[in-house]
Amino acid sequence: MIWEVFRQKKAGDYHTHCGNVHAPDREMALLFAEVQHARRMPTNSLWVVPKDEIGEVDTEDVAFGGTTDKSYRWAMTYNFEAAAEEVAASEDEQAEAEQQRRAVADGDD
Amino acid sequence: MDLETVKERAGPREFSPKDEMPEEYRKAATRMIQFHANSEIMGAYLERPFIRQAPSLERKLAFSAKVQDELGHGQLLYRAAESLGIKTRDEMLDELANGQGKFLNCFHYPMESWVETPMIAFFVDGAAMRRQATLKSTSWEPYAHAMDKVCFEEGFHVKHGEAMLHELMTGSKKEQEMAQEAFEKWWPRIIQFFGPTDKQSTHHGFASEVGLKQKSNDELRRAFLNTYIPKAEKYGLEIPDTPTIEKNDDGTYNVAEDELNWDEFFQIAKNEYEPGLGQIDGRKKAQEAVAWVRESMDSHEQRLYGGGESPQAAD
Repeated sequence: MIWEVFRQKKAGDYHTHCGNVHAPDREMALLFAEVQHARRMPTNSLWVVPKDEIGEVDTEDVAFGGTTDKSYRWAMTYNFEAAAEEVAASEDEQAEAEQQRRAVADGDD
Repeated sequence: MDLETVKERAGPREFSPKDEMPEEYRKAATRMIQFHANSEIMGAYLERPFIRQAPSLERKLAFSAKVQDELGHGQLLYRAAESLGIKTRDEMLDELANGQGKFLNCFHYPMESWVETPMIAFFVDGAAMRRQATLKSTSWEPYAHAMDKVCFEEGFHVKHGEAMLHELMTGSKKEQEMAQEAFEKWWPRIIQFFGPTDKQSTHHGFASEVGLKQKSNDELRRAFLNTYIPKAEKYGLEIPDTPTIEKNDDGTYNVAEDELNWDEFFQIAKNEYEPGLGQIDGRKKAQEAVAWVRESMDSHEQRLYGGGESPQAAD
């Protein structure tokens, strides 16, 4: 049986996918994940999930974010200096996300 | 974990559902996150009619995107609240419908005209964002994670709100006057957004000791005014005379809090303010109208997975 492994670097972080292991049960899956994925990488916590329990949808199935121009959804569209630092921080995150989306769409990534 | 340990460890993102948290912590966190979630939902319902009333296609698209975002934030937050094990999402949504669920003062007031929309979308959302940015460091990890996504999206709301305000304040004389009138109506409510001064706040002490709340009402209000008063003035809005606001030598502001209508505020806080009851009932009717969607989803889940009661998997 295959188990997908998610690692959290430090407390409070997100668990992100880092690989998978073969194991007959959850306990051994955790043990193997520990050995294979958490020996050298900084690790605070691991999750294992049976592969069959994971659902997936990808770009072959859908166009994430739709296919029409949705620039009205982005902070960058509104051409004002951000009113406060937290607004600026949000705009920076959005600009970065949009840039990454474009890079992936253009095949640069 | 005992309460003393919680207070010692109370740092950003310190506690998660795998920690055994004392009931006092779980109840305080539930109260706070449920209030936040309810406010997202009630804010969305307040703004929803203006999707239809938007004056242009761009505004209509942006406004519907914003309302959709806010409802999504509500769902994220109910999940974060549910993870404390005190109430399920269904219970919280029912409480909101039957008038027990509490939410932000500003969303109890009806919004009648398009010129009022930037008062919410710029000032109230700006105030909310100030507060939410500090909650990225709350001690309940699922709440902090919800704030990551909320803050990511919220920058668009505030900047779109500013675009609407700019449009009105550079428009016709009539538009400017109407915007000023709306500002005067909303200004005291916006200042009250941050709640009573620290001295009178009933829940702050504990929430702060256990790291749920990172900044006090007064600190947040001050930071908001320091940023948004100059913005209002820049667009030509006149700050109303009440409450008295004094400018300090260092450019910061002091507000005469006691000039505000706190009787109305506390009436609102108890869900006893008449116009607010209309807002609550309006949402309740909307919830009832889509009961068939929830029921068909529940029965589908029942068919697939049987009767296992698991709030974690309920959505």
